[in-house]
Amino acid sequence: MTKINLKKVSKYVLLVYLAIVILFCAGTWDRLITKGPLGLLKLWWFLIFILVFTLWLLLYLRRMKKCQERGKKCAGLSFAETLFRYRFLIEQLVSRDFKIKYKRSVLGVFWSFLNPLLMMIVQYVVFSHLLGIRGNVEHYAIYLLCGIVMWNGFNDCSTQATRSITSNAPLITKVYVPKFIYPLTRVLSSFINVLLSMIPLLLVTMIYGLFATPHLYLTKTVLLLPFGLIFLLVFATGMGLLLSSLMVFFHDVEFLWSVISTIWMYATPIIYSLSMFEGKAPWLITVMQFNPLYHFIDFMRNIIIYGQAPAFKEFLICGAFAGGMLLIGYAVFHKLEDKFILYL
Amino acid sequence: MAEDKKLMLKIEDVTMRFRMEEDRAGSLKETVTKLLSRKLRFKEFEALKNVSFEVYKGDVLGIIGRNGAGKSTILKIISGILKPTKGHVERFGNIVPMLELGSGFDMDLTGRENIFLNGAILGYSKPFLTAKYEDILAFSELNEFINMPLRNYSSGMLMRLAFSIATVVEPEILIVDEILAVGDENFQRKSRNRMKELMSGGTTVLFVSHDMNQIRELCNRVVWLDGGTIRLQGTTEEVCDQYAL
Repeated sequence: MTKINLKKVSKYVLLVYLAIVILFCAGTWDRLITKGPLGLLKLWWFLIFILVFTLWLLLYLRRMKKCQERGKKCAGLSFAETLFRYRFLIEQLVSRDFKIKYKRSVLGVFWSFLNPLLMMIVQYVVFSHLLGIRGNVEHYAIYLLCGIVMWNGFNDCSTQATRSITSNAPLITKVYVPKFIYPLTRVLSSFINVLLSMIPLLLVTMIYGLFATPHLYLTKTVLLLPFGLIFLLVFATGMGLLLSSLMVFFHDVEFLWSVISTIWMYATPIIYSLSMFEGKAPWLITVMQFNPLYHFIDFMRNIIIYGQAPAFKEFLICGAFAGGMLLIGYAVFHKLEDKFILYL
Repeated sequence: MAEDKKLMLKIEDVTMRFRMEEDRAGSLKETVTKLLSRKLRFKEFEALKNVSFEVYKGDVLGIIGRNGAGKSTILKIISGILKPTKGHVERFGNIVPMLELGSGFDMDLTGRENIFLNGAILGYSKPFLTAKYEDILAFSELNEFINMPLRNYSSGMLMRLAFSIATVVEPEILIVDEILAVGDENFQRKSRNRMKELMSGGTTVLFVSHDMNQIRELCNRVVWLDGGTIRLQGTTEEVCDQYAL
């Protein structure tokens, strides 16, 4: 077993942590610093939260070091060791999936930019001009684009991951590799596309914003964009783990998922807005609170269109959905993974 | 003879039981309907029964037996792909399985990209592969074809590439499941020499074959599996003479 350099790992973990905290503070500055006693209270809560979390992180890193010295097992350590040991494989698998996707197309990686743009144009024309259901949504084109990019990202990640175990069957039956690597790499390679599609999203927003009335400018809340993306990534990973493990036993999952994801898409305010249901169907707004994708997309729209940091509550809700999905996905995957080989 | 050598593998009392569903439910609907009608019956089948043996450093262990004797199952358990129902395996070194033709290959990638992909799957590191890249290329005799997508390769070329990647490393434990004869006569000779080189270089090899000549030529110890149990184990001579009878 290769020993990993925990000092290096700790350094990276702390750097990432620091970056996250700085981004968070910078992005939510306006919400963080509000006048009045209530604002001060909020600030205190925030500081306490950060302090506790930092302490916990430091203690855990220390524990990992102790475990390594004594040769004991601990979850964080074995996870770091697995990632370290298989980092080259992960890198190779991600780059393979990414390369394969556009291998024989002329425009190649440009499709990552083009696809959401074309989708937006089609849907904009259909829903705004033909059907006229744009309602009272401001900047409808950007509203659509945000929704499309986020939804497509999630859909692509989870659909790609669904077949990750079954299509890698020849490898899984021959070489021992921690099996979660296969869905993980599929999700990651699709996630590269999501990252790339952020470029047209932001570009179009800036160009559109100049000509729209009222003008639409990106504000410094764009710094919070990584949070929305991380929530989406974590959530999609959990979904990918769940779907890929079920897929081994029931090939129906693939077909079922395409139906479910279509239903889910229409159940999510991508082309319509919740404000259209105010008065008409208030229960729908309540039900929507349980749709994780609604929260993720709303998070994104807040940042890009309304230029305001999402409420702290929203961070917690999105985080809980993402983390919960990952836990469920991993639990199911872990329980089933030893049986995969008998069914492949 | 074995006492002064380092223990590499310890297979202890391994039993592998499969549950064979009488006809496997392939879909959710089938499973549900069968569960409801209580038709989901299982037939138990023991592929391995209380198998124990040890492998020491430098051993070239041949595993022989008829079809269905459990040879491939024991290899899978040793490499960690299958978890045994009972018993356990201790490994004291890194294991590299020799992959079957093309199982780690991606047909749309070039030979070069596949060397890195396949190498990563086998657990080699990036600096190692970069350093050995020229060796692999030279051994596979693919020359300028290395930058072509694999779908344009002939099966012989694929075999040569697979063999070159698998044997470039000197793994502590190499698992070979009958793939020695690859390529044309010239390459077969080359690959056999490479195998011998590996085996004399201190690598421990587990080797499954039906070709008794190969077993006699390469192995120093042989385990004879029969119906999931060890019929006989010992030096090549002893076991092979018995097996022929």
